[in-house]
This record gives sequence, structure tokens and C-alpha cells, in this order.
Amino acid sequence: MSRTLAYYPGCSLHGTAKELDSSFVGTAAKLGLTLAEIPGWECCGNTAAHATNRLLATALPANELVKVKTDMQLDAVAVPCAACFSRFMATIHEMDEPQTRADVEQVVGRPYEAGVAVRNLVDVYYDEVGLDALKAKVVRPFNGLKVAAYYGCLLTRPPKVTLAEDPEYPTHMDAVLKAIGCEPVAWSSKTDCCGASLALCEQAVVVKLVRSILQNARDCGAEAIACACPLCQVNLDSRQADIRKTDPAWRDVPIVYLSQFVGRAIGVADSELGLKKHMVPVEAVLA
Amino acid sequence: MAATVSSALAARVRAGSGENACKCYQCKKCSVGCPVAGFADLHPAQIMRCVQIGDLDAALQSKFIWLCTGCETCTTRCPQGIDIAAVMDELRMIAREDGRVRAEAPFAAILELNYRSFRRWGRLYEVELLALDKLKRPKTFMDDVPMGLKMFMKGKINPLPTIGDRGQMKRMAAAADRIVAEKRAQAKADAATPAGGAGGAP
Repeated sequence: MSRTLAYYPGCSLHGTAKELDSSFVGTAAKLGLTLAEIPGWECCGNTAAHATNRLLATALPANELVKVKTDMQLDAVAVPCAACFSRFMATIHEMDEPQTRADVEQVVGRPYEAGVAVRNLVDVYYDEVGLDALKAKVVRPFNGLKVAAYYGCLLTRPPKVTLAEDPEYPTHMDAVLKAIGCEPVAWSSKTDCCGASLALCEQAVVVKLVRSILQNARDCGAEAIACACPLCQVNLDSRQADIRKTDPAWRDVPIVYLSQFVGRAIGVADSELGLKKHMVPVEAVLA
Repeated sequence: MAATVSSALAARVRAGSGENACKCYQCKKCSVGCPVAGFADLHPAQIMRCVQIGDLDAALQSKFIWLCTGCETCTTRCPQGIDIAAVMDELRMIAREDGRVRAEAPFAAILELNYRSFRRWGRLYEVELLALDKLKRPKTFMDDVPMGLKMFMKGKINPLPTIGDRGQMKRMAAAADRIVAEKRAQAKADAATPAGGAGGAP
């Protein structure tokens, strides 16, 4: 039986992360999930909102959750962008406080009702589909490709908001990668910050943070990094050009969305996987 | 150190963020785990101390509050359960409210452009944001524009904005601005009176 999830793409998936959008949609279709995009969805407010106006930061995701529950009559929303996911979960957490809830309802203009599950990219495969059902759909398993599962900051932190079981060393993405035939590596930088929010203003800092994560993945034997955040992907992928400028011996690390790995394994068409959109080529590891 | 661990600043931060900086006992787990502390002048535990002793000048002049990436490592590890990242957000808001954003704070400018962009279009309009930033900071042109062009060639950047429900965004933004302005004015007035200290029960 097909299950329907509301779908909140978020700004990045309609811009710099179009391949996350198309590969995610492609995998959902093959895995028996129907995605219903939230009509007229708006920006979740990102870092700019919670550093400027907390109430608006809480109200923007609340407005989307009200639409999912009341207008679409659905009980779960897929939010593949880790940053948007974090804002949605923060809203759910903050709505427990009665004064915040009253203020937010005034801003949204409608009553809020709890009960919509927010699913990030990893959750969709791990919880909504499940590892056994995923394994059953694999037609082209990876033959032990060594992959570092990179969670970054916002999929797991802070755990009071994300409800992550193991925020310092999460393993659900590793399990998904294993289910499709990859060999996830043990490494140190799983949840290190790549500095993406500073990408446009503190380049020297960002390049150092990115390099440290990539180097650790290499040192632990990874041939590629899997990620589940559009900001991390763009940052880790595009800043390797800056690393090469100071280190000609640098060996590029392909940065692949988890949905691209899954899509490759379950037979999603190359055109939907968006393999040409990367700065560091990914075809070699997805061959 | 003979510092007074209760201040109008701590009260103001608490009124805005709900976080009581006075609970911090300087274990420095936040600073040890911070990805950007090594690039700044002060580290997170020192900022928390500034809030406790009411040293607003040191907090607002520090590079740190505009380098914090919001990675939430400090918040996750704080043994006192203080949402330290939210305290950094609050100091950014106080800096803006008091007209005291430090001169060298490019992240402050980016956040403001970003905030205006999604309020205007309902969604982020990346090209406009980048263009306005480069007009303001032309020296940084080569940092981002060549990569931006490569991404454009790969179809990753939309020349035109994608637009959300602009009417609802406008209504929500106006309502949020009004409610927050009222609350902040009240909190500032409360913090200015001696009875408004942060030393109460947590």
C-alpha cells in the first residue's frame, strides 16, 4: 500500500541542491512513497530568522505544519534539507511552551495542532521505508564501496530538539548505506561542523573546517562521503577547488547525497540522480 | 575572580532567549567542542562569563558572536543544559537593537540580506543576496563569484526567484515584528530596574 507524505523541499532543493530534490523524489517513487508538495510553501527562516526574530523563526515552520495537518490531512512531512528539518523540529519543541504557542498562533493566524512527524532524508529511508524493504528493492548493490556517512550539525543537534538517539555518533545513515551494499567507515568527523553558514563571508575559516572533515574521511579509508544536507554538500564539494589552490597534491573526495546512493542502488534513472551537477565528479564512485 | 554573578545583561539575555547564563560554572566543554573558537578572540565560555558579569562591551565587540555557526555542539554538551547557541543569537539581537554591531562583522550583513530576502519573496533568492553582498563588499568578489558562475553553468542557481505565499509571509512577518517589538521594549524596561535581576529561581 502506498503511503503519502507531505513534502517540504525548502529553498535549497529548488536551487543549489536540485539533484537532492530530483534524486529524493525518484527514490520515493520507487520505494512506494507518494510525496505531496505543500502548496505555497515558504522559507523555513533558516539561521537568519532565529538570529533575528525568534517568534518568526518558530512561526514559519508552524505555518507549514498547520497546512500539513489541517489542509492536507497528513500525519508526516518529509523535509530532506537538514537545516529546514532542524527548524521544523525546533518549532515542535518550542510549541510545548504555552506563551510561545499563543504568540505563534497569532502570527500564523490559525490554531496549531501537534501530531505531524517530521522526517529528514535519513529518516525517510530508515524509518518510513525500513531497512528490510529497502534491501528488497536493491537491483544494483554497491560492492563494498567505502563511504563515510556525514551527518553534520543539524540532523542530530541539539538532541532535545532533534530527538536523535546518539547525537555525537549517529548510525542510521551508516545502516542505510550498508543496506545498499556500501561499507560505511568508522571515522571521527561524522558530526563536525563544515561551516556552511559562514560560506559567503569567512572563506578562510570554512576552507579549514572543510579540509579537516575531508582529510579525516580519507584517513579512515573512505572513497566518498555521503551527506544529507544541501548546505554541507555544496560546501564540502565546492571548497575543494580552494584546497587545491594551496595543495596541488590534494585528492578530491566525491560528496554524494544519500538519495543519490540509494537511487543508484534501486535503479533510479541517471537523469533523475543529477550526477553532472557536482563540482568534484561523482560518476566514478556511482558507476 | 571577584565578579558579581548577576547582572542586567543576564536578565536581558534571559528575557529574550529563556536561557539563564548564571547557571554556567565555566567547565568549558562548549569552548573545547566549538569549531570556530580557534578563529576568534573570545571563546564561548568567556562569552558566557561576559553575560554573567554584565560586560556587554566585551561581548558585543568580540568577533565570536559573529563567527558562531550555530552548530549546536555547545548546547548539546552543556552539563547545565544551557542553550548556549541561543545565547549567541540573543547577543546578536541585542547588538542590532542597540545599534552596536561591530564594524568587522560580514556575517551580520549576510544574515540581514538573507532575512530580508525570504521576507520579500517568501523564499530565499540566492542570486539577489549574493549580488547585494558583493555590491557592499566588492573586495570579496573573487571569493564567491567564480564558483557561483560555475554553479550557474551546472544549472544549480536560478536567475529568477522562486516565490512562496508572499501574502501570508507578509502578514506573518508584520505580526511577528509587532509582538517581538512589544516584548523587547518591556524586557529592556524590566532589566533597567534593580528588581529585574537574573538571580531568581531558574
